[in-house]
Amino acid sequence: MTAPRRAILVVLGLLAEAAAAKPATEAAPVSPAPIRFEEIGEKAGARLIHHTHKFSGKNADVLGMFTSGGAAVAVGDFDGDGDEDLFVTDSDTGRTSHLLRNDFILDGKRTGKLTFTDVTAEAGVGGGNDPGSIVSDAIWFDADNDGRPDLLVARFGTPLLYHNEGNGKFRDVTATSGLNKFGNTIAVIAFDYDNDGRLDLLFGNYFPPVNLIQLPTPHVLPNNLDAADNGGGVTLWRNVTPPGSAEIRFVEVTAEAGLSHDTQWTLDVGHADLNNDGWQDLYLAGDYGTDHLFFNNGRDANGKVTFRDATKDAIGFDTKKGMNVDIADYDRDGWLDVYVTNITDEYMKECNMLWHNNGDRNARGDVTFTDLSRESGTCNTLWGWAAKFGDFDDDGWEDLFAVDGLRSAGKGNFIPVLLEMIITPGIDFTDVNNWPAIRDMSWSGYQKKKLFRNLGDQTFKEVGAAAGVDNDLDGRGIGVADFDNDGLLDFYQTNAGQRSLLYRGTTSPHGHWIELKLQGTQSNRDAIGARVKVRAGAASWIREVNGGNGYSSQSSKRVHVGLGAAAKIDSVEVRWPSGRVESFTVPIDTISTLVEGKGAAK
Amino acid sequence: MTLRRVFVLSFVAFLAVAGAVAASAFDEAMKAVAAGNHAAALPHFEAALAADPDSLLYATEYRHAVIKASQYDRCIAFFEKLVADHPRSAHAWLNYGYAYVDKIPAAGSITQVILANNSLKQFSQSITLERSWLALYTRGNSYLYWPKVFGRAPLGVTDLEEAVGIARKDAKPKRVYARSFVALGDGYWKTEQAEKARAIWQEGLQRFPGDAQLQARLARQGDELTSYIDDQLDPNKRVDTDLKPLLEGD
Repeated sequence: MTAPRRAILVVLGLLAEAAAAKPATEAAPVSPAPIRFEEIGEKAGARLIHHTHKFSGKNADVLGMFTSGGAAVAVGDFDGDGDEDLFVTDSDTGRTSHLLRNDFILDGKRTGKLTFTDVTAEAGVGGGNDPGSIVSDAIWFDADNDGRPDLLVARFGTPLLYHNEGNGKFRDVTATSGLNKFGNTIAVIAFDYDNDGRLDLLFGNYFPPVNLIQLPTPHVLPNNLDAADNGGGVTLWRNVTPPGSAEIRFVEVTAEAGLSHDTQWTLDVGHADLNNDGWQDLYLAGDYGTDHLFFNNGRDANGKVTFRDATKDAIGFDTKKGMNVDIADYDRDGWLDVYVTNITDEYMKECNMLWHNNGDRNARGDVTFTDLSRESGTCNTLWGWAAKFGDFDDDGWEDLFAVDGLRSAGKGNFIPVLLEMIITPGIDFTDVNNWPAIRDMSWSGYQKKKLFRNLGDQTFKEVGAAAGVDNDLDGRGIGVADFDNDGLLDFYQTNAGQRSLLYRGTTSPHGHWIELKLQGTQSNRDAIGARVKVRAGAASWIREVNGGNGYSSQSSKRVHVGLGAAAKIDSVEVRWPSGRVESFTVPIDTISTLVEGKGAAK
Repeated sequence: MTLRRVFVLSFVAFLAVAGAVAASAFDEAMKAVAAGNHAAALPHFEAALAADPDSLLYATEYRHAVIKASQYDRCIAFFEKLVADHPRSAHAWLNYGYAYVDKIPAAGSITQVILANNSLKQFSQSITLERSWLALYTRGNSYLYWPKVFGRAPLGVTDLEEAVGIARKDAKPKRVYARSFVALGDGYWKTEQAEKARAIWQEGLQRFPGDAQLQARLARQGDELTSYIDDQLDPNKRVDTDLKPLLEGD
């Protein structure tokens, strides 16, 4: 054999070996290119300043410290023109929240410019910060399945529900909606807990239901800083709007659904089908104590849908300060995992929780979870708030962006002051009068944001600085969406008492992708709860449409899947909340609309 | 027989009986421990300590069983009563402090602070009664667990310098004294006295050749050393409060 022929055979042999080791269509990371973002908030007309609520009276300082949130963002295409718009909250008395219309597509034409126009006044959705209430969160959801997203504004107070009239205007339908219960709501999600085709609402309430603005008692704070049980818990509202009617109606079903015993200081709530049984389960993040996991029991013989508390056996009780719930299959094993932020700082070493779904069954028949935050490198996001999964470079693996920072103010540090109160023997933590004033001091402020790149081997690498997203503002919410329809995810970051930021994804080169707009017909129109499974050769991905997971923010309901090197998709399968399973043919690198009933039945 | 002689003999007899009661209770406790029934051992340990509150052996075995049985609050309550009954027992106060320390890894992050602060109070009471190497090392080391923002590391350095002084003077040095050299170096490191830290670790290694903790620190520099020390002083990890190495000597 000649030397050249021998060399050719050696090369061919190596190639064959490589091919055998890795399926040709496996979505390997396509680009070693670093993830990059450009901050364009000002340029895009999306820069807004949030104002935290200023209390009056002798407890003003302490109450302000405990309520330093409310900077929320909700992403949704309110005008149905094909690009994602923004609703951004404000929280001080008299301040208006803002509806920002995305003009990337304007009057049916693609402008190619990612700019926003403030249309709050015309839409009539800016209110809510009246003398008795504080705006805290918001979500878009199609309450009456008319194809137009309605707007729910959560408050420390009663919520507001705006019906989308379809002409750029909204109508306040709160009074007739049944949503009349006072709560100190900090989080809200829309999901169809009973799979009846109508979106229900779960409110996560922080304080117990007392009006903080007209304080009736000083005993309104947590009764234990690691295991408090005097918080606001959650309330579940069932959507009973008659089909085809625009008369949106809700009734409270918290007790009936088995959620009323929960009295945690809820900071965030998340939903997903965690045990792959077709019913939406719940993860509740609790400040000052344990989180809770509830599995959905499905419909019983009497037609009731209830939840069972699986915390003890599935995740165990904790004493951490749960802040955020986001859910994704980060390791692509076909089971959805849960990411919870806590507090990890010089003076508190809680570590976050990346609950890896074990996909198993314990003695009660429930799946269990193992916290892999340390092993995966996602343990430390300082004083955590929202954290959102997203494949920011389209390499086929979901990355994770997390915001942090409680209060960036003067050079004084509040922690030693707070310590003196905490170690006072017999101190009553519930009494607002016992807490020291923070004045101009900082408390876990000026913290750098964290972007964790998923390395595809169950570990992440923190790349926030290189990606250009390591700002040090007091972050709260993250609205992830593809605002300019280019297949790269962007995000909007809200900050308490500070300016907001809009980051446009600029990673180049990046992988292939698909984006799917799901439209329910028998299921809820937003298809919230729909499970999507994408296959390309040996690679597969699952996604689920969610109705507001993640602290103080709602990301796009559009399903985004980074495909890496996969240049062709073999199948896209959708399991709709109705139970119908269909497959669709979808081209890559495009945005497609999938309508329930229009695919090939499976 | 004089009245004084009667009194002395009676007191000696009392001590002998108390010692026998304590030893018997301790034996029962250790049998339960050997059988793996730590919860059942607790009342026996408590009887032994009630009869001999200064016993470090009884206390350390008791707290070990408490950890196994996760009966932290019972242990804290027991020592609270023990020091009330025996306010001059330096070791009882010391173990009262350890009872709080033992609970720290099982507590939430805020409760950890409260427990740590409570333990310092008991250690201080023990030092007021007896400035022993053990009490000074214990309190000094405890200060080092506090985050820098609370400014307690310098207090730890002061205690640990005194503990090392005692160790240096002891004609029969115990291997466990190496811990005070480790901790003092950690204290210097946390108070940004790097040269003094390395010097004390080197002195410790000369006195206690082969000590793994000292070697580990001397083998590291800069950020790696800071990270190593931070990891060693992680409040979520159980602190070794086993006193048997002290009792065994060298």
